[in-house]
Amino acid sequence: MSNIYQPDLMTITKVIQEAPGIKTFHLKFQDEEVANNFSFETGQFGEYSAFGAGESTFCIASSPTRPEHIECCFRETGKVTTALANLTEGDTIGFRGPYGNTFPLDDWKGKNLIFIGGGIALPPLRSVIWNCLDLREQDGRFGHISIVYGARSVQDLVYKREIEEWNQMENVTMVKTVDPGGETDDWDGHVGFVPHVLENDFKPDPENTVAIVCGPPIMIKFAFEALERLGFKQEQMVTTMENRMKCGLGKCGRCNIGSVYVCIDGPVFTATQLAALPNDF
Amino acid sequence: MKTATLNKSDIGKCIDLLLQADLRVIAPRLQPQVDEDGPDALEVLTFTEVKSGEDHQVGEGLLPLNGVKEFLFAKHEPLFAYEKRGKKIEIIPVHHEYPQTVIIGVRPCDAASIASLESVFSDANAGFEDPFFTERRSRTTFITYSCTAPDSSCFCTSVELSPDSAKGSDLHLTEIGDGRLHVEVITKAGEAVAKQLQDLLEGEGDQAAREKAGAEVTEKLTRIRDSAPIMEWLMDTANFDDEMWQRLGEKCIGCGACTFVCPTCHCFDIVDENKGSKGYRVKFWDSCQFDHFTLHASGHNPRDWQYKRYRNRFNCKFKIYPEKFETPGCVGCGRCIRACPVNLDITEYMAEVAHKAANPNAMKADPDFE
Repeated sequence: MSNIYQPDLMTITKVIQEAPGIKTFHLKFQDEEVANNFSFETGQFGEYSAFGAGESTFCIASSPTRPEHIECCFRETGKVTTALANLTEGDTIGFRGPYGNTFPLDDWKGKNLIFIGGGIALPPLRSVIWNCLDLREQDGRFGHISIVYGARSVQDLVYKREIEEWNQMENVTMVKTVDPGGETDDWDGHVGFVPHVLENDFKPDPENTVAIVCGPPIMIKFAFEALERLGFKQEQMVTTMENRMKCGLGKCGRCNIGSVYVCIDGPVFTATQLAALPNDF
Repeated sequence: MKTATLNKSDIGKCIDLLLQADLRVIAPRLQPQVDEDGPDALEVLTFTEVKSGEDHQVGEGLLPLNGVKEFLFAKHEPLFAYEKRGKKIEIIPVHHEYPQTVIIGVRPCDAASIASLESVFSDANAGFEDPFFTERRSRTTFITYSCTAPDSSCFCTSVELSPDSAKGSDLHLTEIGDGRLHVEVITKAGEAVAKQLQDLLEGEGDQAAREKAGAEVTEKLTRIRDSAPIMEWLMDTANFDDEMWQRLGEKCIGCGACTFVCPTCHCFDIVDENKGSKGYRVKFWDSCQFDHFTLHASGHNPRDWQYKRYRNRFNCKFKIYPEKFETPGCVGCGRCIRACPVNLDITEYMAEVAHKAANPNAMKADPDFE
């Protein structure tokens, strides 16, 4: 009898403090057979457990093109994430997954890509950003790649080293911003909310372009509105939802938006799909 | 279909025969709910394991408080145990008993709910099979019993069922007068049980009397009788923002009683119950009526008002279940109506939606209404 609720065990091989209260874990499966059979695609998520505290849902923040380990990135917020944050290198966590659908990379061939994220919403995008960068390096299958990322303040930005790395890359435009009041004296990025900077400073051309948005529901709403004013059509806009989940298996009943279960039917949705859903997110 | 008759007074003997065959028997029983000897002693009809044919109230009263859900989808279920040893964790499987079980005296509404739960927990749902549910389901046989006296909260005829329906049944019993029961073998599992009871079963049933009895009881149900337009109305996402949800849902206090007595509600939570370095990961019943049910870590809550939570429950019954799981979300048992402390009545919503569906311009812009 296989138990869908039982996680596989993983060792934390590295802990990175990304920002205050935000950590990245590098994880490796302890069982060799599980490790060999594991594969995932960008956009999918997992249920991570701190034994004794419970499970939390995060995306897989690393790219499937870099399979030596998987990464997750989380903010210390509640009981489980606090227990996870207290773990150190060599400790064991549980992992169930990968669950959910994936970013439609095949549909993006030959197109320019804009990734738009706020705060702790960069980790889901980071997986697909590296996936697209690596594939473009291999065979040039995507056009120009832009990344618009903002956080409340300079110190709250996650993946600071990688933001600089993307900034230096050819055919990549890195637009970084912090909320008003969050800037420092030596800040060289924009100041303003992500949708505002997107619409008024960056002003991307919608021609042959797909925009991928991740953030809290309010940011997704304003980013979609800004993109529409820039001339983007709904089918050019993609997002990934972050509803509360417990099982990830379409059974526990809390991530639904109408008849759509984010864990099974998502988490990746186009703006067209979201527009057809009831106003419940 | 094989039929027979049975003396109603022989049900206790049936239970004894099943017990002698080493089956676990669950039946409706009057159970003290408060201090047994105290002044507030209160007996409530409850599905519970019985050890003797003398202890049962099969065919008496209307509906047991709990329904059969908890015997398939446990209220509280350890999924596995874990033990921390330094930096290592050991996961230890939990041994569950899945005894071969017969539940006798199940009313048609409860029997119809089994297929709905199965559509959520079986691998038909996204390929993920809840093994705890399916192990129990495969070892449980349902002997159903047509209703004789529905009450004012019953509305099974509004959701395409009837008080004598055999849907979801393995072996179906209907009172046909003179202390006799008409017995119908519905499934192979029902046939196996009938074999255990063969000394008590006589000849053939009386189909005409059974149909007459069913029709007579069906006549006693007076609530609205057509739920077909409800789903159609709910499918229009514009109606998700209809004024009705807030107006009717405002009195809901979010206690969740409706969800815990509901035979089709399937929501659960998963937590660790920990003691020192050991513990269990457990799954247990939860309710979409609670405010933290959908609360995001960021503080955002998609269902931040109680009426939105009730709206989700109504949509789950009449849209999500039929659309996503292709099974009925509501079986009309009326438990949510009886249990509600503020008399919130799901059939009021149904009537209102049916009215709105039939009169698309009614209730809009009444200039005198404030």
